[in-house]
Amino acid sequence: MWSEIEKKILTEILDELIPANPAKKIPSAGQLGVASFIFEVASNSPKLQENIKLVLTWVISKADKISPHLVREIELIHPNAFGSLITETYKGYYSRPDIRKKLYLSEKAVHPFGYEVKSESDEYLKELTDAVRSRGTVYRDPTGGRR
Amino acid sequence: MNNEPVDVLIIGAGASGAAIAWSLLETKMRILCLEQGTHLSDKDFPSRRNDYELSRYAEFSCDPNVRKLKQDYPINSNNSSITPVNWNGVGGSTINFLAHWPRMRPSDFRTKTLDGVGDDWPVDYYDLEPFYEMNDRNVGVSGLNGNPAYPEYTVPYPPIPIGILGQTLAKGFNKLGWHWWPSDVAIVSKDDNGRQKCVNAGTCDLGCAAGAKGGANFTYWPILENAGVELRTDSRVREIQVDKVSGLAKGVLYHGSDGQLHHQKAELIIMACNGVGTPRLLLNSKSDLFPDGLANNSGLVGKNLMFHPLTGVAGVFDKPMRGHEGPMACSILSQEFYESDSSRGFIRGYGLHSGRSTTPMTYALGGYGIDNPIPWGDEHREIMDNIYPYLAGLTIVTEDLPEEHNCVTLDDELKDSDGIPAPKITYKVSENTKAMIKHGEDRAAEVLLAAGAKKILSKNDDKVWWRAGWHQMGTCRMGHDPTKSVVNGWGRSHDVKNLFIVDGSIFVTAGAVNPTSTIQALALYIGDQIKKNIGTLFD
Repeated sequence: MWSEIEKKILTEILDELIPANPAKKIPSAGQLGVASFIFEVASNSPKLQENIKLVLTWVISKADKISPHLVREIELIHPNAFGSLITETYKGYYSRPDIRKKLYLSEKAVHPFGYEVKSESDEYLKELTDAVRSRGTVYRDPTGGRR
Repeated sequence: MNNEPVDVLIIGAGASGAAIAWSLLETKMRILCLEQGTHLSDKDFPSRRNDYELSRYAEFSCDPNVRKLKQDYPINSNNSSITPVNWNGVGGSTINFLAHWPRMRPSDFRTKTLDGVGDDWPVDYYDLEPFYEMNDRNVGVSGLNGNPAYPEYTVPYPPIPIGILGQTLAKGFNKLGWHWWPSDVAIVSKDDNGRQKCVNAGTCDLGCAAGAKGGANFTYWPILENAGVELRTDSRVREIQVDKVSGLAKGVLYHGSDGQLHHQKAELIIMACNGVGTPRLLLNSKSDLFPDGLANNSGLVGKNLMFHPLTGVAGVFDKPMRGHEGPMACSILSQEFYESDSSRGFIRGYGLHSGRSTTPMTYALGGYGIDNPIPWGDEHREIMDNIYPYLAGLTIVTEDLPEEHNCVTLDDELKDSDGIPAPKITYKVSENTKAMIKHGEDRAAEVLLAAGAKKILSKNDDKVWWRAGWHQMGTCRMGHDPTKSVVNGWGRSHDVKNLFIVDGSIFVTAGAVNPTSTIQALALYIGDQIKKNIGTLFD
């Protein structure tokens, strides 16, 4: 279905879309293998398949080397196909538990454990809200407080 | 399928249908609820899966046009600046709502008298107050007592944490001397009654697998089913039928789980399909008596559609805000600009809601608003590494005023899987709302800077969020005058005496707060009125 050259080119495009951050040891989308995710989604979506083919065919006919300039050209010339590539790239990249962890989130499913967040003490909430209380009511009561 | 006649037929198993069924339990009437969707089983909650975020863009999208599940009906929003979002199933949109639980305020029920706009409601805050309290206990509401933005009331559970994000913003509001308060939320802050307290998962829109969020599936329905209320799922009502002689509703035609069309008779019919589903069904229930749709002698069924147009402004802080921890969208709420002030250049007002941050995928795909992906390339890396973790935002939730040209009609071509015409939305954001949005964006930026933000991110256009039509109101409004309203002051159709409506469609005005608390209080109030007037109910 997808040739080796297509896989290679898509991987290089993905590296441009979400680059790595070596200082934080965060891999790029291509390095992370997001291309496999996209090919898998495309196998169940003829429209996405068509869009990816369109982009890859255009790139293969145009250049040997992927650059930000070339990717910008794809965006301008094939905006709809590029839009669907962006969407699936972001989905494939950020659905990875290891990437979530790099961004300070839990790498696991959020239920059942969620996150530990400390409740504010009564004293602290009182201190925070004292100024609000001291200004008195801030609503209009057309019934004059019927209760 | 047993289609024996019942005393009460409720259409829709969401927030309002569940609440009124609970209210009517004590009458011992035979109650049946027809629901087009099904129960969600525990394994169906995406937050139990590692790739939970993907479901937001597929089977758990808030947009039925994206989900396209069997129980969903398509919505034509091509002529609208906001598209309605919902959930169809047991619990209705409380499955994927964010459980923000502010009440409407006393002035919301008297906008005509106070500000010369909209209309006054036939009920007021104090009529609903006991039902707000009753419902808060049933649903499990957490919050901090003493909010000076309301007449005094007691919240059943202590507040959920407002977190670093809420504390930071609160200090900004204090610096400016503006009102704010920890949000009331329909989320339990303590384990109670088989429900696990909130674990701060931050994925309320994907359903709450813990049961901490007060969806009707976890609160009312277990009680109702134990008490013998029959809940028939996978059952989509096609039309309500009327008796030609008496003019009363006699029953419904519905598509059952067996794929067949059934007739169900009932003495009393209660509609609980919300502000789009209810007018759709009424407009599709045409007869010789009601050629323009059932209960539509006023011509107002489907008219006066109100949303809460939204936009957001975010600030970038110098420490991580950890906004993904804690109930999504519920931390603190400012009502400093809620009441009318003619010097602002618009009528009525808005709230500033501190939405917590979303998860990375949702932020990447939604951007500064919720509708547009953030840039790709080096800028992408910069945003996700050095901006996203440091964000705190405010959502401007504006009051929408009723305008007849904003409406729900039936689409001529689009149909659901049973061949029932889809709703078509015609909706335009008013100039008053645009002025409110602009004012809100400026004030939000001001408070974010006061709270210490180093940079402000804003959409910088006058467009409101598109996929944000959660609150659907006004399309079958209440009122005393049958020529200017669809139902009376206790939800009974002016035209069909055994037909009641209890959902958001009966709102006269919209307020600037999330409506579910008021929808359920109103349903309980109507249930109470039905019980009080049971001897003369159809007179």
